[in-house]
This record gives sequence, structure tokens and C-alpha cells, in this order.
Amino acid sequence: MTNTHTTSTGESVSDAPDAAYICATCGQAYPTETLLIHHRGIRHPDDLSETELEQYHEAYAEEEATLRRFRIIALGGIVLLYFGFLFMYAVFAL
Amino acid sequence: MTSQDDDSDTDTPVQLLTRVSRRLAVVALAAVAFVGTAVASNAAVGLDSASQQSLSVPRWLYVATGGAVIGASALLASFVTDRRFVASIHSWRRFLTDGRTLRRGARVGLSVLGVVLLPLVVLRGLTGPQVPTVNFALVLVFAGMRAGFTMATYLFGNAWPSLNPWRTIAEFAPNGFVSYPERFGRWPAVGGLLALVWVETTTGVTSLPSVLATTIAVYSVVTTVGAILVGPDEWFEFVDPVSVFFAFYGRVAPLTWTREGLELHLPGMRLVEEEFVDGLDDVAFVVALVWELTFSGFVTTAAGASFVELVAGVGLPPLLVYVVLYLGGFAAFVGLYVLAANVAADYLPTYRSARELAVWFAPPLLAIAAGYHLAHYFAFFVSLLPTLVTVLGSPFSPPPNPLVLTLPAWFGSLNIAFVLLGHLFAIWVAHSIAYERFPSRVQAIRSQYSFVLVMMLYTALSLWLISLPTAPPAFL
Ligand SMILES: [Zn+2]
Repeated sequence: MTNTHTTSTGESVSDAPDAAYICATCGQAYPTETLLIHHRGIRHPDDLSETELEQYHEAYAEEEATLRRFRIIALGGIVLLYFGFLFMYAVFAL
Repeated sequence: MTSQDDDSDTDTPVQLLTRVSRRLAVVALAAVAFVGTAVASNAAVGLDSASQQSLSVPRWLYVATGGAVIGASALLASFVTDRRFVASIHSWRRFLTDGRTLRRGARVGLSVLGVVLLPLVVLRGLTGPQVPTVNFALVLVFAGMRAGFTMATYLFGNAWPSLNPWRTIAEFAPNGFVSYPERFGRWPAVGGLLALVWVETTTGVTSLPSVLATTIAVYSVVTTVGAILVGPDEWFEFVDPVSVFFAFYGRVAPLTWTREGLELHLPGMRLVEEEFVDGLDDVAFVVALVWELTFSGFVTTAAGASFVELVAGVGLPPLLVYVVLYLGGFAAFVGLYVLAANVAADYLPTYRSARELAVWFAPPLLAIAAGYHLAHYFAFFVSLLPTLVTVLGSPFSPPPNPLVLTLPAWFGSLNIAFVLLGHLFAIWVAHSIAYERFPSRVQAIRSQYSFVLVMMLYTALSLWLISLPTAPPAFL
């Protein structure tokens, strides 16, 4: 019963399991609803319904928050890397 | 869809931190450049082991720093989360000219040049002086094509389709008697590239002009017959390793001819725009480009030579050692890359297969290969440039006093810059591809983890290789 809802493109939809979220416009399958919302917001901004638009804005804001957390961790990583190397140069290269 | 303006109030501290972290990265880069100079100038002194011992930075630290620079720049790239900005970088283009007459003229001129040069190379290789540094064939093929023309191909644009003498010949002859089996894809070109590099490393074509001439004659027969059989378009797109080599390197270049005319992109950004890698055969070819430079780098170091001597000392035939090292290393490079794709396909919430991910993120490796190529051949090309000009000017009278430029020591540190630069371009290209292909930006960033790790390994390996003193390869 899985692959009957395959639409136009079909290439990567064929191996998608039942629970897939399928884009109604291009047939691309996504494992989570959020990813589908993102996809539709980016690829088909003109096809969005009112609720979809709202969902997209929500998902976008949530993504921004995640990215902000990521940036802080990444920054920590860079600082750690920098001082780690500074320390190693001080010990081994001077 | 990117409304960055509504969250500006919360972004300020992060932006401040971003700025600070960028400054730190600049300092780190400067530190690497400084260390690089120390190491490279020591290597440039030559085989003098005393100068190697006076190294101020341990080699492992220098290699680790290179890897860390790549990792840190991947983290920095992930700070750029504005889709419109990312897209504006790689979609930027300018039409320079529609110059149809210019194009047609250049094409005819290059075709004639190619058809004239090919028999000259074979003839002078067989009859010219059997001295590598003055022989027309050897200087033209290695300093001219292998080094110079390849650099021009990824720095400016790919002119090989016009210059290619075998294509010109096959286009004039009746052709296309058999249809090329599509399922072979570019696998013949992968095999061909590996075979050519093998011939280059082991048969003495780089030092014996007559062997080079014979090899080129054999290659000409195979190529011409093949191109006439399946038609030049199929042959040079899928089978001929030299044409695929230049076509792939040409994707890195900023200039390209389109239907509208000569188009300028930012360097490397056509790797994002054009989907020319579409199967595992193409992935294998791209990895082979990275591998062949790593391999020839390894066997020409003192460490590589003594490694081969050591293994051969057990009683194995040296050529077998080279075969195992060559094919085994290639398999390991491909395996590592495919493993990265598999890992990414596993941890990402996506239905995209590992194969698809491997195909998507292969083009950035071309920027890495171009950086390696520049590191391996730039100094070689510059030092042989006077000879190249002389032999091109007078193919029949070899220069009495071949002038080989002695390069200043700081030239060696350029190599480190080239390797790092290639990787930095690759990081940005991969970042842009991920943003094009994944619906969620968080997912796009996460997709890069395993690929960046592989890139860091490649960087570390090649920085290590270029820091080693060189030696003639053992037994060859
Ligand atoms: Zn869609």
C-alpha cells in the first residue's frame, strides 16, 4: 500500500515508508512534518494555504532558535579549538 | 522566505560574538601561515636532514593545525544562515561578451594548433634529444599540458574540447558506427585515468621522450578509433579520461561559454550551480583526481620511497607494492567518502539515499583537487616556463642552455596556501549545495559533519605530504 501515492517525480519517493509526508505539489517525501513544511515554504511559496503559511512561519522561527543555539555551541567549539592550539603551540613550538 | 529583519533585536549579541570569532579565525589563519612558512622553507632547502631537524614546529602539530583550520572554517561557514545570501554568491554571473566570431575564431585556431602539435610531439619525442629538460615532447606534455594547461583550465576555463586534436580528427572522419552503451557511464574514463596516472608514475614517460612519444602514439590510435566508432561526442564525454579530466577541472573555473556568450561566475561557484555529477562513476572520477595527486605526492617523498623499499625488502616485487598501494589507496579514498555519505544518510532525517548524498557532495572535492594540483605543479610550471617558451618557439632546435628558474624559498609556503584555499572553497561549495538541497537549514548544517571530517583527513594527509622532503621514487 506504500508507493501508490507516488506523483510526478517519483525518483526518491519510491522507497519512502508509509509514514512519509508527501509534498502535494512535487511529490517529494519527507520523514517529518516540519521538513515538509520547510520544503513547501521554500520551494512552493505561492501554493501555500493560510494555515500552511502560518505553520511555515512558526517552523521558521523555531529553526532560527535552533540555529542560534547552534551558533553559540559552534562559537564555543571555535574558541576551544583556538585556545587549545594556542596552548599546544606554547608547549611544543616555543 | 528569509525574514531576517524581525529577529534583529535578539541577534545582536550573537552577531557581536560572530565578529569576534571571525577575528580569532583570522589570527589562527595567520598563525598557520607563519608555521607553514617555517616548515616549507625547511623542506625547500632540500634533502638536507640537518635543516629538517631544526624545524621549530613539530610536524604533527602543523598537520593538525591544517585540519583544524578546515574544521573551524566549516563552523564559520555554518554561521552564514541567510539562504538568499548563500544563493546570491553562487548564482552571481556576468555576461562578458556574446562574441560569436571570437569564439569561432578561437575554436578554429586551437583546433589547428592541436592538430599541428600532436604529430610534432610524437616526432620530436622519437627523434629529438633524449634529455628530459630540453625535449620538445616532454616539456610540452608535462610542463605545458599536465601542469600549465590544467592550471589554466581550473583557473580560467576549459579550452580542451577545441584544442583536442583527436576530437578534431574524429569530427572530420565519418563516425558513430556503434552506439555507446549508456550503462557504462563514465566508468571507462575512471579506469582510463587510473591507467594513465599509472603509466605516468611507473613507465618512465616523464623522463624518456621516446617512451612518451610511443605512449602518445598508442593513445592516439585507441582514441581516434574509439571516437570514430561511437562518435566523438559520446567518446569524449564518457570514455576519454583526458577530456573528462579537463571537463571536470573546468567546472571549477569562473569562465564558461553558454548559448548567450562568455559568462563569468565567482571561482568554484559553478560547482554548486551545475549538476554534472550524477552517478557513482562521476564520484569515483572526482575522488580519483584527488587520489592521483596524493599518490604521486607520496611516492616522490623520501618517506614514500623508503616505505616502498621496506615492503619490497620483504621479497615482494616492487611493482606489485606500487599496484597495491595505488589501487588500495584509491579504494580507501573512495571508501572513506562513501562511508561519510552512508553515515550522513543514517543520522539525517531524510529519505535521500547515501548514494544521492555522495553524488551531491562530490563536486566540492574538485576544488580540493585543484588546490592540490596547484600545490604540486605551480613551482614546477614556473621554473620550466622559460624552457617551455623556448621549445614552443623552435621545436626543431633544442635550446643549447635550457634555463630552469631557481625559485625563492617562499615559493614552498605557497603550496600550503593552495591546499588550504582549495579546501576553503570546497567548504563553501558544500555549504551552498546543502542549502540548495535540504529544506531545513539545521539539516543542511548537520549534513556537512561527516563530509567535513573526510575533508579534514584529506587536508591533513596532503599537508603532511608537501612538508616531507622529496626523493626519486624507489625502483622506478
Ligand atoms: Zn514540493
